[in-house]
Amino acid sequence: MPALTAGIPAAVAARMSLAIHPVPAPYGAAQQFTAGRRAAARALALAGSACRVVPRQAGGRPLFPPAFAGSISHTGRLALAVVVPGASAVGCDIENAAITARMTRFVLHTPERRTLLEQAGYSARDLFAAKEAAFKALSGTAGTGRFWFWQIRLSQDGGALRAAYGGLTVPVWMSSRADLSVAVAIRH
Amino acid sequence: MPDTATDVRRRIRELLAEVFGGWGFVSTVDASASLREAGVPSTALVALLVAMEDAFGFEWDDDVRPEVLRSIDSLAGHIETLRA
Repeated sequence: MPALTAGIPAAVAARMSLAIHPVPAPYGAAQQFTAGRRAAARALALAGSACRVVPRQAGGRPLFPPAFAGSISHTGRLALAVVVPGASAVGCDIENAAITARMTRFVLHTPERRTLLEQAGYSARDLFAAKEAAFKALSGTAGTGRFWFWQIRLSQDGGALRAAYGGLTVPVWMSSRADLSVAVAIRH
Repeated sequence: MPDTATDVRRRIRELLAEVFGGWGFVSTVDASASLREAGVPSTALVALLVAMEDAFGFEWDDDVRPEVLRSIDSLAGHIETLRA
């Protein structure tokens, strides 16, 4: 299996501790949750954290140890966790779902479809994952209020995507395969 | 097109069952519970919102308040408001 960081610049990938864990049968919410926490524990260990427990906050978001910002995502069969020591916020998303044309129009604004889908060659699934990852890195930040991930605006910025909402921006790094899109947003 | 508040909630449950988890999942979701916290992934939520546009004959505003999309009850409330 190609590395999930393929396509992410080595200098960026080197700052991440990334771990995956398979979701066991019957692939339900409980199994996905547990697989996500196991991936998070592994990512925290790789990052050098003595604390490897990630409790659930009110609202369902994972609470990583101080100084070890992290994020968890999963498909029905695979959980992913990313930890970036010293970052102020991290968002990751792993996506294998089909994104229909109607869903694409719902989530992506016209300029995003024109420049990122048609010109830059990202898939709708890539950009869906990018907005989800950016949402996790931006939401909860002072000043943003409550919003939905599709309200984030994406643009191309060198080798990365740049996500913007409420006056804040965050770079989003993509790793894309035929069957899977992985996005990681890191705020410093 | 569903007419009563009960019909609207039932139709939203049918649409959710079509896009995520089937009735085995949907029957366990309380009408007031957060769909995201209940385990509905973002892809399924978007698929549900798109399906609602077709089923109820409207389009979501880009700046819809987040709390409107939180639960079956809040989604149904939005439909009822549009029809009032």
